[in-house]
Amino acid sequence: MTAQEVRLCGLLLREHFGEVVEKVGTHLLRSGAQNLRTIIHETGLPLDLVKKSLCVLVQHGACNFRSGRKGPGCPTEYQASGDRILRILRYPRYIYTAKTLYGDTGELIIEELLQRGHMTMSSTVKTVADRLTQNMEEGRSMDYSEVTSAFSKLVETQFLQRCPPMGGARNTKDTTPGTPASTALLTPESFPDCYKVPHITLIGRGKRRHSSDDGEDQKSAKKAKMDPETHGDEGIYWQVNFERFHLHFRDQAVISAVANKLDQTCSEIVRTMLRMSEVTTSPSATCTKPLSANEIFRSLPASYNILRPILDQYLTLLVDDPMEFVGKAGESGGGMFVVNLHRALANLARATLESAVQERFGSRSARIFRLLLRKRHLEQKQVEDFAMIPAKEAKDMLYTLLSQNLVQLQEIPKTPDYAPSRTFYLYTVNQLPTARMLLQNCYKTVANLIERRLFETKESKRLLEKSQRIEAILASLQVSGAEPEQLTEVEEMITAPEKQQLESLRLHINKLDSAENQVDETMFLLEAYVSSTATSTA
Amino acid sequence: VTDEDKSSETTSVFDCYYLFFWIRELCQQFPHGITDQVIQNDMPHLEPQQRAAAINKLLSLGQLDLLRNSSGLLYRMKDAQSASKMKGSDNQEKLVYQIIEDAGNKGIWSRDIRFKSNLPLTEINKILKNLESKKLIKAVKSVAASKKKVYMLYNLQPDRSVTGGAWYSDQDFESEFVEVLNQQCFKFLQTKADMSRDSKQSPMVQRNSSFATSHEVWKYICELGISKVDLSMDDIETILNTLIYDGKVEMTVIAAKEGTVGSVDGQMKLYRGVNPVIQPTGLVKTPCGLCPVFDDCHEGGEISPSNCIYMTEWLDF
Repeated sequence: MTAQEVRLCGLLLREHFGEVVEKVGTHLLRSGAQNLRTIIHETGLPLDLVKKSLCVLVQHGACNFRSGRKGPGCPTEYQASGDRILRILRYPRYIYTAKTLYGDTGELIIEELLQRGHMTMSSTVKTVADRLTQNMEEGRSMDYSEVTSAFSKLVETQFLQRCPPMGGARNTKDTTPGTPASTALLTPESFPDCYKVPHITLIGRGKRRHSSDDGEDQKSAKKAKMDPETHGDEGIYWQVNFERFHLHFRDQAVISAVANKLDQTCSEIVRTMLRMSEVTTSPSATCTKPLSANEIFRSLPASYNILRPILDQYLTLLVDDPMEFVGKAGESGGGMFVVNLHRALANLARATLESAVQERFGSRSARIFRLLLRKRHLEQKQVEDFAMIPAKEAKDMLYTLLSQNLVQLQEIPKTPDYAPSRTFYLYTVNQLPTARMLLQNCYKTVANLIERRLFETKESKRLLEKSQRIEAILASLQVSGAEPEQLTEVEEMITAPEKQQLESLRLHINKLDSAENQVDETMFLLEAYVSSTATSTA
Repeated sequence: VTDEDKSSETTSVFDCYYLFFWIRELCQQFPHGITDQVIQNDMPHLEPQQRAAAINKLLSLGQLDLLRNSSGLLYRMKDAQSASKMKGSDNQEKLVYQIIEDAGNKGIWSRDIRFKSNLPLTEINKILKNLESKKLIKAVKSVAASKKKVYMLYNLQPDRSVTGGAWYSDQDFESEFVEVLNQQCFKFLQTKADMSRDSKQSPMVQRNSSFATSHEVWKYICELGISKVDLSMDDIETILNTLIYDGKVEMTVIAAKEGTVGSVDGQMKLYRGVNPVIQPTGLVKTPCGLCPVFDDCHEGGEISPSNCIYMTEWLDF
């Protein structure tokens, strides 16, 4: 983990779980796998706090434990996973996707699971039903079966998965008999029942909470509900399957790129192709399984009734496009077509790099950057000639890009002594290292944005506290029934400039929040690209 | 002095003029030059000394050129015009002129003249000034190194590599000219693409009609008349390439029949305006993505997120 990643993870842990968990988490990230005693010793925190923090991290899947490496008698070692912690940044995007795909029910299920880490199906269903009932009108409530069906749909499309049983844990449903307590970390997919919905007996409706219960509920919201009833699925815990969401985001990125470059109909065709290969393609595949034109024609949405020859023309267009989103893999069945996932990701990453250079350094520097990406190695004179930029300015721009490490210099000597007058100096751009560098910049940027947000909140802490107190007073006055004059009197305790300050503070925080999400989109593209190259070269 | 001697003398004088005439005839027959061998074949009764004497006389009169090639010496007729030009110049000047003539339209640098002729620098400079004043050679400033001057014959057009071609006027790169051409070409291609998109025909036809060959673009630019210099199709193609590097245009090559307008070696290049693949990426929507002091920014330092002025401006926007 790089320093920037550790810093970002620390900030995210602090915001969501508090400073103690942050301390333990960052310590584990920096030092690798450690056992309990070492952690206590090095962080200087008391035993029970460390234990609780580790519990929180394990509950959310950010920390794994296994028996020590030195032998079976060693104490268990804990290892934090930075990638998992960085996913916290993407929670809003996951929740929003679930909402678009499965409506409010899906949104709330995902939200609950993200908040709790691991939960059984029955408790999730009950909590979500209660929450949905809360927002409905009086007299109506949400049936458990609806929520259960939404849950099952999420499991079918693999957005939710079972948590892998911990090695050595007492599991009532031992799904893999005969597995020795191995020291390797097991992925959820290695269990065959990963996506099987258990049969639970859960009949009822959501309970509406009344306002008198508000105070209690706030306290118990963090604690797991101690439910005395059992529903037949004890010990089966569910977690959100981030990889599946990532595949979905990647598909969306490819579809929107096709829509931008070509047109709406082409993007619909690509969307159909990707939908058909959702479950048949492995996550790290270079391209989807070949689909025949006949199948595509049959699976197009009914609203798009285009004729078969027109579809063939569109497919030919997609194949001929220089971006190579779609490739032809054979001639049977009217032509077999694949979506080139890795190539699409590489093109999107390249477009991201180009856009970053363009916005930061101007369109002429972007021209030089694109030129070097296309032609690989060029001398300075050639750069000036191809880009049609005057020599002085071209030199200036090249040196600026070089100092920012976006462009590299390759020396090719003509003589064994690297005499400068007898050496070729070629400029080049390497896409993968540049993408990694930009990714690190993204981490730093998000950390900066979070710090600025915390700073702004801290600055106006006094004002925020005052406004919170005034709101509480207003609420209690309203409940106990007061005259309008009393209410306005209380309201006027906040002066107009203070109100303005609060308003601007709110705007600032919103802006910083949305900026974090935008940078997260860039982060996702670059991470997907880097991991796609890692698997293809492995 | 016997009669025989007298007659041999007169015959030798008479023979001389006859020899000159004969050798000149031979030279005119072989404009590329004649060797000793050729003269010998033609006049086998001639003795080598007489031949050599005749040739020397012709050389000193300046009517023959002495050249050397791989098989020996060549004698070539000097044409009357150049012979008259060099009248009054001495041998050194002739040598320098020869060297400059050989350099063709690329021109030659004064230091290179010095190497080839082995004359001292002062002499060279005097000779060059002399020749320039006689309007036999001229100096052209090279565009690659602005201090360097190359010399070439007065009536020759300098080569493209020296002047830079259509994009340079007086050694200055015309960036506004290039910019204007750039925008015009792009607008042409973009309107073509928009028109084809609005025509709502089948997608293949749409795409094919949004393409423009380099020849079409060239014709359009010529008809616009924004260029004072004549632009060739290659020049237009370099402009279109810069549009490709701007990411606004894409190019394909198709096979074309020889003889169709605009085809080069059986190929045609087609250009088409395109839309960008993604919107500006999220990172650059934040001040940190564009910050010039990004690497110096640390929490607790002089430049930090808490006191960043760029962020303050951006938040209040």
